[in-house]
Amino acid sequence: MTAAAADVALKGRVGDPFSSAWRRRLPLLPALVYMIAITQLPFLVSIYYSFTNLKDKTQSLIPEPTRFIGIDNYKQIFSDPFFRQAVWTSLKMTVLAVLLSLLIGTLFALLLDRKFLGQGLIRTLLITPFLLMPVVAALIWKQQMFSSLFGILDKVLNFLGLNSVAFISSHPLGSIVTVLVWQWTPFMMLIILAGLQSQPGDIIEAANVDGASAVGIFRQLTLPHLRRYLELGALLGSIFIVQAFDAIDVMTGGGPGSTNVPYYVYQESIGGGFRYGSASAYAIVVVIFAIIIATFALRVLSSLFADEERA
Amino acid sequence: MHEGRNASGRRRVRVLAGVLVVMLVAGAWLAATAMGGSASKTISVAIVANGQMQDIASLTPSLFTAKSGIKVKYTILDEGKLREVTTRDVGSGGKSFDAVMIGPYEAPQFGTAGLLKDLTSQAKADKAYNYNDLIPAVRNALSVKGHMFASPFYGESSFLMYRKDILAKAGVTMPLHPTWQQVATIARKINTPSMAGICLRGKPGWGDFGASFTTVLNTFGGTWWSSTASGQPAAAQVDQPAFKTALDFYAKLVQDAGEKDAANSSYNECLTAYQAGKVAMWYDATVAAGFLEASNSPVKGKNGYAFAPVDKTKASGWLWTWALAIPKSSPDPGDAWKYIAWATGPQYLAAAGTRVKGGWAAIPPGTRISTYKIPQYKAAAKAFAGITLAAMKAAPITNPGTTKRPGLPGVQYVGIPQFQDVGNRCTQLFASVLSGSMKDTDALGQCQQIASQAIK
Amino acid sequence: MKRGTRIGVGERRSIVAGIGVVAWVIGLLWIFPVAWTVFTSFKTEQDASAQTLHQGLSFGRYGDVSRSIPGTLSLQAAFTNSLVVVLVSTVIVLLLALPAAYALAIRPVHKWRDVLFFFISTKFLPVVASIFPIYVYAEKWNLIGTRTILVILYVAINLPLAVWMTRSFFMEVPRELIEAAEIDGTSLVNQLRSVILPLAAPGIAATALLCVIFAWNEYFYAIQLNFANASTMPQWVISNVSTRGNFLAKLSAASTIACLPVVLAGWAAQKRMIRGLSMGALK
Repeated sequence: MTAAAADVALKGRVGDPFSSAWRRRLPLLPALVYMIAITQLPFLVSIYYSFTNLKDKTQSLIPEPTRFIGIDNYKQIFSDPFFRQAVWTSLKMTVLAVLLSLLIGTLFALLLDRKFLGQGLIRTLLITPFLLMPVVAALIWKQQMFSSLFGILDKVLNFLGLNSVAFISSHPLGSIVTVLVWQWTPFMMLIILAGLQSQPGDIIEAANVDGASAVGIFRQLTLPHLRRYLELGALLGSIFIVQAFDAIDVMTGGGPGSTNVPYYVYQESIGGGFRYGSASAYAIVVVIFAIIIATFALRVLSSLFADEERA
Repeated sequence: MHEGRNASGRRRVRVLAGVLVVMLVAGAWLAATAMGGSASKTISVAIVANGQMQDIASLTPSLFTAKSGIKVKYTILDEGKLREVTTRDVGSGGKSFDAVMIGPYEAPQFGTAGLLKDLTSQAKADKAYNYNDLIPAVRNALSVKGHMFASPFYGESSFLMYRKDILAKAGVTMPLHPTWQQVATIARKINTPSMAGICLRGKPGWGDFGASFTTVLNTFGGTWWSSTASGQPAAAQVDQPAFKTALDFYAKLVQDAGEKDAANSSYNECLTAYQAGKVAMWYDATVAAGFLEASNSPVKGKNGYAFAPVDKTKASGWLWTWALAIPKSSPDPGDAWKYIAWATGPQYLAAAGTRVKGGWAAIPPGTRISTYKIPQYKAAAKAFAGITLAAMKAAPITNPGTTKRPGLPGVQYVGIPQFQDVGNRCTQLFASVLSGSMKDTDALGQCQQIASQAIK
Repeated sequence: MKRGTRIGVGERRSIVAGIGVVAWVIGLLWIFPVAWTVFTSFKTEQDASAQTLHQGLSFGRYGDVSRSIPGTLSLQAAFTNSLVVVLVSTVIVLLLALPAAYALAIRPVHKWRDVLFFFISTKFLPVVASIFPIYVYAEKWNLIGTRTILVILYVAINLPLAVWMTRSFFMEVPRELIEAAEIDGTSLVNQLRSVILPLAAPGIAATALLCVIFAWNEYFYAIQLNFANASTMPQWVISNVSTRGNFLAKLSAASTIACLPVVLAGWAAQKRMIRGLSMGALK
């Protein structure tokens, strides 16, 4: 059933009361009103704060009254090299994590798409990292794997006669991306697996009977079918990974190379800067960028919907 | 028809199941909220996750609640999170805590800003509390113009701890008042692949690496900011030669003779490494000695202690205390004071000695003169009690370096509100220098920007 | 023939066996950090920090973390708080999302694309951006340190995804069945009950599971607002990172306990998740 067909079907009905448009909107209203209230109102308050010099009272020894300072906060953002660094780090972190987890997730999905002994068990094991608390995942990698004092990787390296590597201190971005990829690959795997399993099996059978190679089948039949699933995975993954916070807080506490935009705003706000006015301005700028990127993502969404209508 | 009946039957079951679940959840919520609203007096206290704090939390029911009828709900957080949460709570008039644990960095600032209750009159009036028993340096660090805003729970300075046996084997002696050059030479001499010469803090954070490094910075003649005549910060001094010298010295020492993964090491990691025999010397808080000489410590009896190394100044050890304060917005300041008077009073110290796991050597040190007169404590802490007290008295809190600076008193921090954020962000950069992934000139340049921007 | 259940025409047994071996190796390597952590949780602290096994295995650490210093956050309190918050918020999400999905799929409003975009766009706002206004107003209304504030925020976090997913599952319901119900004159609620929900049930279950996963594992709001009261499991886990001596074994035990409910739920429901996602998350 498609949305267009639904429209047509309903327009043709006899006897719709004059308030049919409102009767359609009614079931939507609770969810819509709720989201507007909980997300937009704080946003509006943030806009207000961003034009003031609001700070925590502990930040000035003599009480400093909160006053309106116009766009000073905004002017400062564009001359802030550390914010630019954070944006660049966000970009690197998100792109790396999304692409790697998508790639590895697809490989895993392809592996799991065949029946072999223990397929269900392996799938169960592979899903597990996604189900863990992000703080637990970060702690596991920080203390059990990467730590130079206790970590298992250090012992393995020493056993092989290699030098110790201070993973988190020397490679902060790499460590964070590792944890993100480890956690999000199962999510991508599930989506791609869903895509693979929704492929009509008889077409593949026919291609096999015709003597097509496995690689050929993959390229000509599977990959196009998977395109929408890959896009969905990339979109959803980006939405969540760009917000990554827990891993940074637990593993590196910020620092050059691993502070992304959410963490930077946090540091400016309740994470130590306590400059609420300035932090709100950063947040607004981030939101504006996000809306621009979201409009771009909408094109991806539209192509997903367009495919629906064609179907 | 048959299918329809089954379908409706299944539906009914599902509906019933759904209603049941909702009822269960609602019931659980109601029950839980009902349980939470008990009528007995409870105060809420925020404390750091240190050993002495965990000890007092265990002893509170038997030693405090039993006698006063006041229950204490502890929120234990690590230092960084605790600071974030209490600063925001105190600054925004939050009602989450009746008492909060802060240090001499926050106490004068919050007190001057009018966010804390002045404890002086209550403290002086309470005979059992014995106001005059508090070590003056510690008390003054928590006060503004004679008004005490927080009561000290434990106090520490910094000094150098070393393995007497390792140094003896290498034919080296450590003077009682060493210079940093002497310490560096010794560290490099006794450094081996299996046992590092020295453990120095490297973990980012103004209270972690920042504390150790700032004492080095001070004694090398550097400072974070210069000061105006009235004591306000004038200009950032991160670009000065003394700062670079200090950072280079620290970084090189750590790289040549320091512990593995220094950029991730603070007090806890160095303590573990020292006790495991992975480092031979350690410059850090005096309170560590209590753990090194505890009855179950693998290095008990093997340690020597020297004053904090110096360069251009006579003393360089820091002064820190974790103290309990009452925010102005505290819901129950009366009971909060009763708790604080007990927790930081001499009776707790006397009672704790026989009750805490580490014995007398593990009771909170460095707050009261009377502690150092308790015979059992003197016996258990023989190796380090004397030098601890001397170090605390010698901490140069009014003149830590060679130049005038803002934010006094204070040794290992600058007592201005901006220092917390500047310190945190700059130590992040410096930690990268320690781990070799950033050049010192780059880090110093970026830090100078941060420090200048902060005082604009 | 269901995919992935039979060796298809043209696939040699040896290739399939080889793939099986590769999959086993990869699976075990991928799970290694988790498996090692669970293994560590049974060791003593000394063994854990040295990565040795001299002192045997036991449930001792589990006992240690289950007992807490009185007056501090206990496992029981954190678990109850998490459970209540997660269940209540998920129920509310479903109660709001199902009708909304109806209004976007079955009898769509005219601007359904914009509405969908709005829902998803709320997830582009970084949580850190709005935390201070939320804190200020929560403080004003005495909601700091309550389960209520977390429920409110978790509903807002999960609702967009729930609406989107439920909508696509509703789109799967055959048009004829709905029209039949409409002709019969059944109300919206009855339509949902008798026609739509039974068919979309696996998808709705998948959605609910995702909501549970995200709500149970949420850390930022939980620790920034409920640090003192009504604290949840993530904060309890972190509290086992001690500054007094070694803690790796205790932390491993605490992590295992904290993650177990959601992991078990995910394991039990994984087939349903895949079926739900393949059913309609995309169509």
